[in-house]
Amino acid sequence: MGRVSQRSLLRAAAVAVSVPITLLALAAPALASTSGSGDAGPGLTVLQTVGIFVGIPVGLFVLIWLLVYAPSMVKGPRYRPGLTWWAAARWFNGPPQGLSGVSGVAPGPDTTKGGGASARW
Amino acid sequence: MPAGEAFTARQADDILRAIRLGESSAGMHIRVYVGELVGDARVAATRLHAACGSDVADTVLVAVDPGSRSVEVVTGAAVARRLHDRDCLLATMAMTTAFSAGDLAGGIINGVRALAEHARAPQSLHRDTP
Repeated sequence: MGRVSQRSLLRAAAVAVSVPITLLALAAPALASTSGSGDAGPGLTVLQTVGIFVGIPVGLFVLIWLLVYAPSMVKGPRYRPGLTWWAAARWFNGPPQGLSGVSGVAPGPDTTKGGGASARW
Repeated sequence: MPAGEAFTARQADDILRAIRLGESSAGMHIRVYVGELVGDARVAATRLHAACGSDVADTVLVAVDPGSRSVEVVTGAAVARRLHDRDCLLATMAMTTAFSAGDLAGGIINGVRALAEHARAPQSLHRDTP
């Protein structure tokens, strides 16, 4: 319950912040100077031009890429059906002696008289 | 094949907790193996089961091979009397449902729970009489 109300609170806050900012950004031309003197100013150097038209887009590209891939890079690989298995064999609550001598053990009656089930996915 | 860790510490803890709960409620050893089952999966799983120490008859083994996408449940002779093959099949279905969605840890936990639920500890009769 607290989780849901926190989420809706977050959502409301996001709308309350983003809507005024968007409106102000779109209305920027309305606040432009209308003196119209025609003075174009000193112009941009090559470095500034490259920075604005190449540096900022590339920077944004890298930032978004990082935001998308950083979590999975930190967590490491995870299981995906259909891909090869990469991890070492692992026991949970395994036998005390581990896997030693497994290949040499022929299943005894305690195993063969039991049952079980098989499945694939 | 680079050897990495397939489970986070938390997932491993959850799996172990499910196993301990199941063992205490069902009165049997539950062992889970996640890794390659070389050759025929069933044969490899029975070999693993046979290697599970001295209490093999009282052991149920869940062997999961994510590489070949197979899961095997092997019950010992004593366990098989309480945990029928049909119950094991239900547990494998619970597991494969989660596995095919990519949830390895969740599937194992579901399977262990299902196995333990179907294999209640045998009633000890006449416990109240000396």
